[in-house]
Amino acid sequence: MLSVDVSNGLHEELETLALRNKARAIGVALHDLETGFRFSLCGDRWFHAASTIKVAVLLAVFRAADEGRLRLADSLHVRNRFFSAPGGSLFRVSQDRDATPELYATIGRTAKISALAHAMICGSSNLATNLLLDFLGVEYARTVLREAQVDGVELRRGVEDHSAHEQGINNEATADGLLKLLSAIRGDFLTPESKREVIRVLLEQRFNSMIPAGLPPHATVAHKTGEISTACHDIGIVYLPEREPYIAAILTEFDPDTEGRRETVAAISEAIYRSLLRTDPKSSED
Amino acid sequence: MRPIDGLRLGEEYRALLRPGESEAAANGTVHRLPRFFYEIGSWEEAHEIRLAPHFTLAELMLVDCREGRLLLSQFPHYVPCAIVLLARFLEDFRREVDAPVFISANGGYRSPAHRIGGPKSIHAWGTAANIYRVGDTFLCDARSIEKYRTIAASLSPAAFVRPFGRERGQTDDHLHIDLGFVSLTPRDCSEAS
Repeated sequence: MLSVDVSNGLHEELETLALRNKARAIGVALHDLETGFRFSLCGDRWFHAASTIKVAVLLAVFRAADEGRLRLADSLHVRNRFFSAPGGSLFRVSQDRDATPELYATIGRTAKISALAHAMICGSSNLATNLLLDFLGVEYARTVLREAQVDGVELRRGVEDHSAHEQGINNEATADGLLKLLSAIRGDFLTPESKREVIRVLLEQRFNSMIPAGLPPHATVAHKTGEISTACHDIGIVYLPEREPYIAAILTEFDPDTEGRRETVAAISEAIYRSLLRTDPKSSED
Repeated sequence: MRPIDGLRLGEEYRALLRPGESEAAANGTVHRLPRFFYEIGSWEEAHEIRLAPHFTLAELMLVDCREGRLLLSQFPHYVPCAIVLLARFLEDFRREVDAPVFISANGGYRSPAHRIGGPKSIHAWGTAANIYRVGDTFLCDARSIEKYRTIAASLSPAAFVRPFGRERGQTDDHLHIDLGFVSLTPRDCSEAS
């Protein structure tokens, strides 16, 4: 009965939030590991995955390590030169849009796979993402998603592949799919060592203005954001010392240049917290 | 540096290095892979070996994890003896451009087992170098690549330098220089099988 109340209340609150903040669409999926409560609002709606797709690449990297296909301490040639998914034309990623200038300083040399995985998630590096995906292969990463029973995440190409985008070939995801992806990470799909390392990388996320912004300061979040002109997402595992974690995937879509997108995701995060813990995150700040 | 006859190496190394074996190129020409190698005991040694005043051996043998596992993670490593000729050419090039010359990872010697190019790549002869930077200039556009291509090509009739472009046989993010399929037999080594 309680979960029905929570579900109905949250549903109503999130729809009000979306309307008030002029979101074109939202998709939210939630799994509370403390109570088993699950929630999904438009959880099967497809969104452009933006940088949340990097979590799928991360899963594939560590699966490959578990399978002995690569070693995390191995080095990869850092080269800003990639082939587009359709037709194979060459493209480069833009340094201006990347928060990891230190990686660009290594072009021509090598970087460790573990460092690339860290840069891909914590700094959302497009260069690191494409290097890893280029090395693993899109087909391999898709196979890993299938083996992990993650449907609702369609990995089709690297990032900044404008030629593919023009032809409608994009990475897409649903909130339910991304929830499954995080659940696979937290489950036993990876070896315990890889699982620990993946979560450690996600915990070191540098962009914290969405899910964490709606939580009390003592919460820690293993998460990944994703933003493009029309999409603004954050997916993560929320750790609170007093209870088991919960997993949330918050996807939003706006008209381009709409302000307050990140704040909307933070407000959704806050509403989820309040619903699950029946307390205001601000009240536990001290 | 100690020269080694590749035919006397253990089976695992021979399978990866394929000393003296014939390899047909895409255009039908056939070449024999290098047979004689220098044996390198450690990375420290590779860093200490100066093949030319401004080029250490380490710079010419840096590869990534696409290299055969045995040749990547364990020492000794083996590099074709002709790599000394490449280093001398690169030194001439450096003198001509009067600036530091940077060789990319996977841009010097790669074994026939390397997943880029494999045994058909001239990098398996140790006579090719991919230069990604000269001084402060990254070679990633037509202007810089063509400028340094002209200089490199002027230094020797044996030098082949790929033109700028995005088609097969062209480069767009480095300068490829090679000296052809040169093999070097150290004077104390015998070519008798």
